[in-house]
Amino acid sequence: MASVTPDIRPARARSLGGLRSVANNAVTIVVFLGAWQVAAMLVNSPFFPPPHRIVDAFVRLARNGDTMGNTLWQHCWASLYRVLVGFAAGVVLGVPLGLLMGLMPRLYASTRSVLEPFRFIPPIAWIPLAIIFFSGLTRFAFLIFIGSFFPVFTATLVGVARVEPIHRKVALVYGARKRYVLTHIVLPTVMPDIMGGMRVGLGAAWLTIVAAELSGGTSVGLGRMMVNYAELLAIPEIVVGMILIGALGFAMNEILLVVERRLFRWRWQVTL
Amino acid sequence: MTAAAAGAKVRVDISHRYGELLVYEKLDLAVRENEFVCICGPSGCGKTTLLDLFAGIMKPSTGEVLIDGTPADPKKHNISFVFQEASMLPWLNVRDNVATGLRIKKRPGAEVARKVEETLALVGLTGFEGYYAHQLSGGMKQRVAIARAFATDADLILMDEPFVSLDQPTREKMQREVLDIWARRRRTVVFVTHNLEEAVFLGDRVVILSGKPTRIVADLEVNLPRPRDPVSEEFTRLRAHCAQMLHAIHGGPDE
Repeated sequence: MASVTPDIRPARARSLGGLRSVANNAVTIVVFLGAWQVAAMLVNSPFFPPPHRIVDAFVRLARNGDTMGNTLWQHCWASLYRVLVGFAAGVVLGVPLGLLMGLMPRLYASTRSVLEPFRFIPPIAWIPLAIIFFSGLTRFAFLIFIGSFFPVFTATLVGVARVEPIHRKVALVYGARKRYVLTHIVLPTVMPDIMGGMRVGLGAAWLTIVAAELSGGTSVGLGRMMVNYAELLAIPEIVVGMILIGALGFAMNEILLVVERRLFRWRWQVTL
Repeated sequence: MTAAAAGAKVRVDISHRYGELLVYEKLDLAVRENEFVCICGPSGCGKTTLLDLFAGIMKPSTGEVLIDGTPADPKKHNISFVFQEASMLPWLNVRDNVATGLRIKKRPGAEVARKVEETLALVGLTGFEGYYAHQLSGGMKQRVAIARAFATDADLILMDEPFVSLDQPTREKMQREVLDIWARRRRTVVFVTHNLEEAVFLGDRVVILSGKPTRIVADLEVNLPRPRDPVSEEFTRLRAHCAQMLHAIHGGPDE
């Protein structure tokens, strides 16, 4: 049987990352750089470098490394690695705990007086304790875990409440067991929320890594690199660090978005 | 009643409370094998609850629902349910939605594929296998739900006002389709509706319920030949008779 399934998805869903949007963004970048250049020329101060000096600094850092001989690549990888480890821990703990609390509202209701206040302690406020108790990768991973856990946990918890009773009933009337309801009804419903929580958590992770690296305890990492150059008043190098943090965070977010669009095509086409 | 109860497909003899509220008071009903029974009653008389009890996903406070002589249990009995609300799973396409019941029952892949293809053809959705809920009209989604119910070859099919959200032409078309499927496949169907015309058009029997606490007010055999003509004299007479029964307990028109 040849099934004819024409593509009736709306054009905007198909071309979200399409050529047109790439071209538009290229124009935006050019306009942004132009405005920067003009502003730098008007201000005309060594403390407001124009874009080409940032490029120079980037090339210098990439070729020769920093003052202590650490390459730009090492700085990037150190920060990225810490983010990935801490973020993974946040997801690995946040999702199951969110599911558990969501499926057992009574457990959540009777533990939230302890759980919820933690959400309001910013990861940065954990830095002093982390300095005392942890060192190296563990310290950074711990802080990033703190930053990414709650967005993922809360999104999962809220997502479970979105499960339609009728969908559960559909499974039950055919004799489904609890496990099936969890894997085939609850998880598909919550997955988009989990992904959304992951993207928020990722933002929090980048926020945290820079603050954590600024507080010392390491010689590599983009945050560390920026502090080193701040002591030398080397503004272009600092800006290189800032742009790289933005670019890495943006790239990871884009990867998650692509995965999201692939997995939840059914939902992406109706939202937006 | 008792004579029919002996060889009954489904046998209900229950009272049911929801908290303080008495929903069913000594409800006693038997459905014969391959019978098409329509259950009518005023809004809020607990028709949906009754189907949940039939399906075994809710237990009555007292009494039992027996299917083929054993307590109703969806893990043991082969039951299907068409819900009043939109029940298509939005993250699955049409094919996987129709296959849901079969997959839960762990049927082999080849059988699943064959049944899905068959039932989709039956409801006229061949070619829409890859579509998702948001790409389909309300009528098409309801046909997916009906296909899902018929795909498992359930021997008891429960339908809860399945056409209430459809416009009149679609509704009439779906009624004929369901009768057609039922005629070809011969299953026991319990069909809940608050529309008497629909009940008389579809059912071998029409059971009329009262408001809460709910009892059976009337249990009428519909001995009209199919396909039934809703404007024929016998049809209108029977429909009027049902309406009288319903209004007698109500003290006024229902709709």
